[in-house]
Amino acid sequence: MPLFGKSQKSPTDIVKALKEAVNSLEKGDKKAEKAQEDVSKNLVLIKNMLYGTSDAEPQTDIIVAQLAQELYNSNLLLLLIQNLHRIDFEGKKDVAQVFNNILRRQIGTRSPTVEYICTKPEILFTLMTGYELQEIALNCGTMLRECARYEALAKIMLYSDDFYHFFRYVEVSTFDIASDAFSTFKELLTRHKILCADFLEVNYDKVFSHYQRLLNSENYVTRRQSLKLLGELLLDRHNFTVMTRYISNPDNLKLMMNMLKERSRNIQFEAFHVFKVFVANPNKPKPILDILLRNQDKLVDFLMKFHTDRAEDEQFNDEKAYLIRQIKELRPMPGH
Amino acid sequence: MINYEANISSYETISTLGQCFEGMAVVHLSKHIKSGTLVAVKRFNMDRIKQEAHLVEREIILTRQLQHPNIITYYVAFVHLQEVCVVSPLMAFGSCRDLLNTHFNDGFPEAAIVLILRDVLDALEYIHKKGFIHRSVRAGHILISATGKAYLSGLRYACPIVFNGRWQKQIHSFPASTARNLNWLSPELLEQNLQGYNQKSDIYSVGMVICELANGAEPFAGVATTLMLTEKVRGCVPELLDCTTIPTDENSDCHGDCDISNTVVSRRFSDDLHELATLCLQKEAIIRPTASQLLTHPIFKLTKKPLFLPDLLKPAMPLSSRVAAHIDEVTNLDVAQQFADMELYSCEWDF
Repeated sequence: MPLFGKSQKSPTDIVKALKEAVNSLEKGDKKAEKAQEDVSKNLVLIKNMLYGTSDAEPQTDIIVAQLAQELYNSNLLLLLIQNLHRIDFEGKKDVAQVFNNILRRQIGTRSPTVEYICTKPEILFTLMTGYELQEIALNCGTMLRECARYEALAKIMLYSDDFYHFFRYVEVSTFDIASDAFSTFKELLTRHKILCADFLEVNYDKVFSHYQRLLNSENYVTRRQSLKLLGELLLDRHNFTVMTRYISNPDNLKLMMNMLKERSRNIQFEAFHVFKVFVANPNKPKPILDILLRNQDKLVDFLMKFHTDRAEDEQFNDEKAYLIRQIKELRPMPGH
Repeated sequence: MINYEANISSYETISTLGQCFEGMAVVHLSKHIKSGTLVAVKRFNMDRIKQEAHLVEREIILTRQLQHPNIITYYVAFVHLQEVCVVSPLMAFGSCRDLLNTHFNDGFPEAAIVLILRDVLDALEYIHKKGFIHRSVRAGHILISATGKAYLSGLRYACPIVFNGRWQKQIHSFPASTARNLNWLSPELLEQNLQGYNQKSDIYSVGMVICELANGAEPFAGVATTLMLTEKVRGCVPELLDCTTIPTDENSDCHGDCDISNTVVSRRFSDDLHELATLCLQKEAIIRPTASQLLTHPIFKLTKKPLFLPDLLKPAMPLSSRVAAHIDEVTNLDVAQQFADMELYSCEWDF
């Protein structure tokens, strides 16, 4: 650490200066240009305190603790996120880096920033609506995924009404934003197994009626990603109840059987991994069994010819052979 | 500011410029119909892309988060049927690799190298400051615009230095699908040992690029990968071929098996350029200069004279001016295809 040179500004001073600058940026007065400059400058100062640079170490824990405390007390994190679209290009990224670092702070087993955000959920809601604005969508995305690592924060997001906006975000026409939104969406639905399973169970109808639209999307990438995620969700043993419910619905089976025949090989392949769950179910409800029986021969034929070039994929071939055997052996329920 | 729509029908395909991403993506020269601007449209066939799909995504998202006059950008990326389409500014001279293949088999003149290098180092200085390592600096990833500005592309191989809330001192991850880049990569990256590597690894690649731009050939071309690695670990590196490095006296009688042309034997690169390459190619990463330090090298002071890269690249011509003359005639895509084949993009065009 340099003994001489520029005098170190204290965290209190920097946070105060940054807050003033953001406020003035928000007002959009004549001093906006100067405010923009001050915002950038102070953000870099904070970022360097937290991360260090290629040739300077990060600040000591005491300074970082002071800084964090100032950020909580001043409510600056929310203010920064609310004004993110007003901050210049590099500044936006600095906000995300500062936020992500502060979020990871730990005192023993406690995560003080996570506790703080739990008391200020507006931070999360503001970040989620960030996907509406092209120029801040990706910055908000990195912060959201960092938040989603913490169960308490993931829970707030999952159970909020804003969560259902993701079904729209993952399908927007700009590819970068749609795929970023999808990563966040997936993180929320898979990261914390028990939380996610509970959420899906409690909100089954609402979630899956929305999810159905993704599977029928006109956007190839959306359809492929959502189908793949569906397979992962259903095959996760935590989601057993959800899976049982999903594979009892004949409409779901029909959809998957249609997708098996889609032109795109990737879609066919992902659909196979959902379809197999219907067949493997030892307690098939009658409507499901009926569909399978009606198509028994056709399905066997179809599967025999299905992706025969995947000779090297042992697991796939085993599963396919198993499905063919299962379907061949299907018999109507006794007494019907 | 032109608004580039996220819709394929807004672009009219003129010709195919080339393939990239191991044939899973094709680059079209297209016209943005509303404005008449020529653009490059890179189309990834996502149904052929399996595990690498995340690389496409990563490149697009990372590119969106970098803003620098010497880093390739794109206007819009969208999905059309089974393709992800990326619309970017047209790089009318193609990549440096294309130019070396078509017009400069023995390498560029020094003045051109210096101009290109300065742009590349500017881009790298920015990338490193923003906390990324590029990991695929090579002539094929340096694109030249109609005005002679160099742009760095190939960001899908880049990795972040900042993660887990820390500025990492060393990186240990090995880039995915990187076979094409191996010859340019630093010994410490290739060794994959506990010491890891950092942004200085890119500087080593810059050294390789200096040799590539000066000599015309790819570094370690035709050398087996294992031998290439051993050579690098031993500290053996390519050098700039000119009268100071090619021994002429005792080999004066080798007319038959010597395929080095007379221009190469008789030319002379400046001591500064030789020094620059040597500085970058030092085996010990710690003593290699940073991009910022390299930019203060005296060689870049000379370029304050207004030299214009397109002049130095003659007889190579930018794509747009020739196409503009033909644009109405080119209606048949097959004709356009042949036309494009004669163009600069014979090898590959990586963004």
